[in-house]
Amino acid sequence: MAATRRLQKELNDIRQSGLKSFRDIQVDESNILTWQGLIVPDNPPYNKGAFRIEINFPAEYPFKPPKISFKTKIYHPNIDEKGQVCLPIISAENWKPATKTDQVIQALVALVNDPEPEHPLRAELAEEFLKDRKKFTKNAEEFTKKHSEKRPTD
Amino acid sequence: MNSKSETDEASRGSEASSSKNPAPNRSEEEPSTSLCSGAVTNRTEDIMKRAAARQLIERYFYQLLDGCGNPNCDNQYCASSGEARNLSPNEAAAEAIKLFYKEARLCDTLPNKVPRTEASGCDSSASTTCNTSKNKDDNKVKQAKPSTNVRESTSKEEEPQTSHNLSHQEESKIRSHNNGVPLTEERMYELCEECLQNKVREPLIRALGEAFTQPAILARCFASKTVTNSDEEVKMNEDKESKAMCLSSDPDKDVDSVAGPELDVASCRRAFQYLAKVPSEYYSSALVTSLKTLADNMCIDLRITKKMSIEDVVNCFVIAFEVPDLGCSDYLEIALPALCQAAEHLPLKGKARLARIWAQHCKDSLRHILETLQQLITLRVISTNYTRQFQLQDDEVVTMATKFMKIVYYANMLAGSMESNSLREEPIVIASQQDPFENVLDLYPPSSMKASKQSQPDDPLAIELDVNVLDARKPYLPFEEFYNEPLSDTIEMDIDFGNYKTEINKGKKFAFLRYPFILTVATKSLGLYYENRIRMYSERRVSLLHAVVGAAPPMPFLRLKVRRTHIIDDALVGLEMVAMERALDLKKQLVVEFEGEQGVDEGGVSKEFFQLIVEEIFNPDYGMFTHRPDSQTVFNMTSFETEAQFTLIGIVLGLAIYNNVILAVNFPMVVYRKLMGKKGSFEDLADWNPTLYNGLKDMLDYTGDDLEEVYYQTFRIWYTDVFGNAIFHDLKEDGDNIFVTQENKREFVEMYADFLLNESVETQFRAFRRGFLMVTDESPLAALFRPEEVEMLVCGSKNLDFSELEKSTEYDGGYTAESQTIKDFWSVVHSLPLDDKRKLLEFTTGSDRVPVGGLSHLKLVIARNGPDCDRLPTAHTCFNVLLLPEYETKDKLQDRLMKAISYSKGFGLL
Repeated sequence: MAATRRLQKELNDIRQSGLKSFRDIQVDESNILTWQGLIVPDNPPYNKGAFRIEINFPAEYPFKPPKISFKTKIYHPNIDEKGQVCLPIISAENWKPATKTDQVIQALVALVNDPEPEHPLRAELAEEFLKDRKKFTKNAEEFTKKHSEKRPTD
Repeated sequence: MNSKSETDEASRGSEASSSKNPAPNRSEEEPSTSLCSGAVTNRTEDIMKRAAARQLIERYFYQLLDGCGNPNCDNQYCASSGEARNLSPNEAAAEAIKLFYKEARLCDTLPNKVPRTEASGCDSSASTTCNTSKNKDDNKVKQAKPSTNVRESTSKEEEPQTSHNLSHQEESKIRSHNNGVPLTEERMYELCEECLQNKVREPLIRALGEAFTQPAILARCFASKTVTNSDEEVKMNEDKESKAMCLSSDPDKDVDSVAGPELDVASCRRAFQYLAKVPSEYYSSALVTSLKTLADNMCIDLRITKKMSIEDVVNCFVIAFEVPDLGCSDYLEIALPALCQAAEHLPLKGKARLARIWAQHCKDSLRHILETLQQLITLRVISTNYTRQFQLQDDEVVTMATKFMKIVYYANMLAGSMESNSLREEPIVIASQQDPFENVLDLYPPSSMKASKQSQPDDPLAIELDVNVLDARKPYLPFEEFYNEPLSDTIEMDIDFGNYKTEINKGKKFAFLRYPFILTVATKSLGLYYENRIRMYSERRVSLLHAVVGAAPPMPFLRLKVRRTHIIDDALVGLEMVAMERALDLKKQLVVEFEGEQGVDEGGVSKEFFQLIVEEIFNPDYGMFTHRPDSQTVFNMTSFETEAQFTLIGIVLGLAIYNNVILAVNFPMVVYRKLMGKKGSFEDLADWNPTLYNGLKDMLDYTGDDLEEVYYQTFRIWYTDVFGNAIFHDLKEDGDNIFVTQENKREFVEMYADFLLNESVETQFRAFRRGFLMVTDESPLAALFRPEEVEMLVCGSKNLDFSELEKSTEYDGGYTAESQTIKDFWSVVHSLPLDDKRKLLEFTTGSDRVPVGGLSHLKLVIARNGPDCDRLPTAHTCFNVLLLPEYETKDKLQDRLMKAISYSKGFGLL
């Protein structure tokens, strides 16, 4: 199926660039508007696993921003139990059509690596993160081990 | 015109303007000529009242501005107390009117202040008399002289000889005297400096008087010129100008004078800025007198002598309205009405020219001009007691100011951002079904409806300027600033509506409905209500006539019988039959009947009908409309529904307006704009789909050379259908191979918007609009309301102010505002969450929307329904009456009330 040229190009570019932190990109050939991929964070406590995300592009892309959700459960102040994430770069108010998907993904990986407890989606995790970092790290590590996917070996 | 008081006033020179009585007398007497004698007593009373009101307002004004002079004053509305904030004269005038309304506290003593206008008048004459210099006395005489001449000619204005004399005098004066030199910015600066340094006002006053009293001279003031530096050149220039001026007074050489010096508005404004540094009491009364004389002279010229070119007269108006805030009531009462009157005699081209000059060069002044006009109207309206004999529409001060405001109104649109008028929806002609009894109708006395079937004549000024309110994307000043609330509240809409209707035929009487910009939506909707009711009654009469002739069974109403369970189907089938067979019936009063219920439709049942039907139609499952996350409803471009169904929705919307019912629909503004005949454009996306708009706007703002690389966008765009499938559309042929570049990005955006808002929904929208117009095609809806106002008509205004409702609520059956139950009721109501408040509204009025003008226009009545008992409160939705038993305790009241509003569907007669 033909798709927007922009999205096709971005997909090709990302696949060729070989991002270390975003791999295993799967796109259904019949619907290029939905991508899946594996986020591979570097920082503890999330560096023990990988997290599957889904990116949904609206038909009006790039004039409307994509939406991102986590398919893998994650213990993170900025990502809620349903996997929704609040990423300023793709909010309706801040979205710039010139922004490329690889920039969005880099912003997402940065957020996973370094949580922003000032703007939490899960207030109780943010509080734990700020007040008892040790406990938070321990909980997050256990959670990651239990729920996350295997990290690619290469 | 009453020549006696005119000359009288003129002979008193500048003092006349400041004394209080002549002005109201004069203006009062103009309409009186046409009045019957019975009105005389009323009028004298009226004059007294107005004079008293004026005096009071004036006292407030000076109290605010200057204080009472008592160092121990504790009045918060007095400047001497130090509690009143510093106000500009304009603000103070507005504030004074408010205080007058409030009957705020007035200080007892206002030494020297109240009679200030008089004092300054006396002052100027005193100073001239005290001053023994012969020269100055001379000036005084000179200043007064031309105006006296003019007044004389006014009294005999029909005689051509006098006017000839006048022109001769004028010309000779201009030629012989260096008095005739027009003011320039530099000259004004010198005069002001001189005035400030030497504390002498005479040279300034004289110069102003000379310039302003003679239109021919004023038109040449502040002319744009190329060289201004050396004095000699200035003089030469001035000489040239005065020559040009002489030429212009010769009617044959008008063409030359057009090529003469243009008015330099910026220079004029700077000149008046210098003037504003001089204390206004130095010159204000003189300037007011000059402006008045100027206006009268222009009036004469425009009506009779016609010596000046239109360009010159327009220049005079531009300069006259650049005059800074004089901060004295005389300006409002004397000079401004005279100027408005003169403007009325401007030919169409002149008005258009004035509007264009204002729009181009005087944007900054528009607000000031509008504010002073509004002040004039407000002051006049609240200080006059209008009666059946002397109506608001007869008050020339108000009507002329309103007419003049129209020029400002158009200038304001031109000054803002306008869109091309090519973006119009194709007109849809509703061919009313041929009435087989047309001949019978002809026998019948021609009803007013037949007359108004001819399309409403467009405003000639709008045609001349080629502006249409639909094209005004963003006016310079918001349209709301043109509303005059005191006027809208005072106006007797039945009379105005009558005038409006007769005006279409004869063009005689003044109707504010011809100037809809000044009326608030609530007032205009009353006018529309009359129109619709009259039409309904007329249709009813015709149908009875048919019955008498024996041709058809009598059908005085548009009767709909529906089942609650199949409300949409029944309504659609019923309306479809009417639309196909007897489209005219749509203009009858709607009467709805729910099967198996006893409710008699006095308005309440049809209200509920509309509400239920809207709920169903806009249900996303129904698929005719899509809902956006930001809760704006749009047409579903991929809907499977038939055109007929969209037509029916249009009919429902039209019927709602026609039958004065508010609907809970949430269309984006573009729908109303399209309904009124304007196509959707890129700017409409901002309201309809803000995210997409921002994305596109961002691309428009992108200036890099690599737009093609970065956006990688082609002229193929994508959208999703109801099921979320992506569908593409090529904006151009082979769109996928045409890239968007810096050069064509604007084109892309416009085509994109055009596709989304017009092309993709064209069939559905055409059907919808057709339905809407089937009901409203003959109503003056489009002439009276802007799209934003139509939205308010359909949806009501959006905020719920229950304290406003409490204030306007009336009580019946033994309740008063002081009754314990009533106090309990309001304390319960105010503590309810918004949702429950809406339910309460729905329960008592049948709709949870606020009527146009806010909750205070709801006319809620709470009536006592027996002593304490277990019955629930009930309501008559058609009359907005809530029946409330006198519950013993607040808790019980709350309990009963909540039960009632939570289970509130169905009608029953108790």
